[in-house]
Amino acid sequence: MKSRRGGLRLTLLALISCAFVTASAQTKKEFRYTVGPKASIIVVNRFGPVSVRPSGNNQVIATATLHSAKAQIEDTHNPSRVELRTQLLQNATPQEGAVDYDLQVPADALVNVHSATGTLSARGMQGEVTLVGEAGPVIVKDTSNGHVHVKTLNGSVTLTNLSNGNVDVTSIGGDVNLNAVTGPSVNISTGSGKIVYVGDFGANGTYSLSNHSGDIDVTIPQNASVDITARSVLGSVQNDFPLAQKAQPSSFAGGGGNQGRSFAGTSNSGSSSIQLRSFSGKIRLKKQ
Amino acid sequence: MTCAEFQKALPYIIETGGNAEQEEHLRTCTKCSDLVADLKYIAECAKLLVPMMDPSPRVWDEINKSLEQEGLVRKATPRGRLLEPTTASRWGPRRLVPVAAVVLAALALFVYRNQTGEKHVASNQAPEPAAVASSAVSVHGMSDADDQQVLQQVSAQSPSMRDAYESNLKQVNSDIADAQKSLDQNPDDADAEQSLRDAYEQKTMLYDMATSRSLP
Repeated sequence: MKSRRGGLRLTLLALISCAFVTASAQTKKEFRYTVGPKASIIVVNRFGPVSVRPSGNNQVIATATLHSAKAQIEDTHNPSRVELRTQLLQNATPQEGAVDYDLQVPADALVNVHSATGTLSARGMQGEVTLVGEAGPVIVKDTSNGHVHVKTLNGSVTLTNLSNGNVDVTSIGGDVNLNAVTGPSVNISTGSGKIVYVGDFGANGTYSLSNHSGDIDVTIPQNASVDITARSVLGSVQNDFPLAQKAQPSSFAGGGGNQGRSFAGTSNSGSSSIQLRSFSGKIRLKKQ
Repeated sequence: MTCAEFQKALPYIIETGGNAEQEEHLRTCTKCSDLVADLKYIAECAKLLVPMMDPSPRVWDEINKSLEQEGLVRKATPRGRLLEPTTASRWGPRRLVPVAAVVLAALALFVYRNQTGEKHVASNQAPEPAAVASSAVSVHGMSDADDQQVLQQVSAQSPSMRDAYESNLKQVNSDIADAQKSLDQNPDDADAEQSLRDAYEQKTMLYDMATSRSLP
């Protein structure tokens, strides 16, 4: 009995020691700066997530969690620019070189974030936001009046509740999901990724959703005011939304296009102009 | 004077020469003096790529004609499309010169970052700046050799990302081939042409992400 209890205690002690060792391999660093209006905030990371949210004042508060001593952070700053770069020591693996960044920045800041892996996320921003990721997903939410630029290789892109700004997304293989995204100009381009749009396209906007081999699914409410042109060069189109017919562009008739791979029409006053284009994917327009 | 302040004024220093404080920094800071040496080397190489004098209009016309024959640009004709402005001259040769200058500047920054920031990069394996510049500049003529060079750079800089770049490169090359084939069969298909342009733009983005890592 005594020996069993002793064994349990030893096991518990060993577990606690392991947890301590693991935790102590990680290091947390905090950087604080005061910046002026529309300051540039740049984070260049190699591995690991980066999240950005408003600080509510003119402070930049960056918390970085380094997963090992093989990663270091180089920071430079002045009142109009803050730059944080992850530097890796030789032979650092992606796990050793990972740094998790959590940034609180002024809402009007010009944010520029790069990371090869790890989720890139921005929420509640009102300035210009540029997110460049290679394999990790990108998430942007609740952004107004700011421009959003996203580039990924095959990381997925999810945009939710964006308004009054220009949106520009390019991905080679990542899916792009847009929910309640409106703006004066929205350009989405993917290669093999799927594009899904749910929303009403707002008013007076210009939208271009295009991909090469992925599908495009658009779901809009009955009261959406849109002027839609859709064509798939080698794929197909399906329209389940009542549109007032309009004359199709002459480019549909020429060069091998045919009625079965295109449609065009307006709904309500046709306030927003929407172009849906795929090379070989299927384009679907549905009613919400 | 800090390195950041020196580098901020670098374009003016190279063009007009620096003041006493900047020259002193250059004398004492090996990091910045290496950077200036690299930029001067790249500028010298760039002279070999870009002619000092504009070629005659006949040369541009011949280049434009070749691009039209390949189906990569179209003659500017009225279009029935609703949204897209004519982009027939988008890939015109006159745009390659400023594109080359921008790519070379990004390349200079990439070379500098590799030398100072990432100690694990095997600098003796990095390709010659002029060679990389030529592969990054040749927007249309991206060859298999260019692709391999880009992949080698990714392998040297970030071996764990090589597979992702390779698979995406294959995907975008396949998209280019698809669109080109369709355009060859239907030269008047504006959407096929746009698909081809989009695929080339995605490949350019991939090159940019691989070589300069899109560094701000």
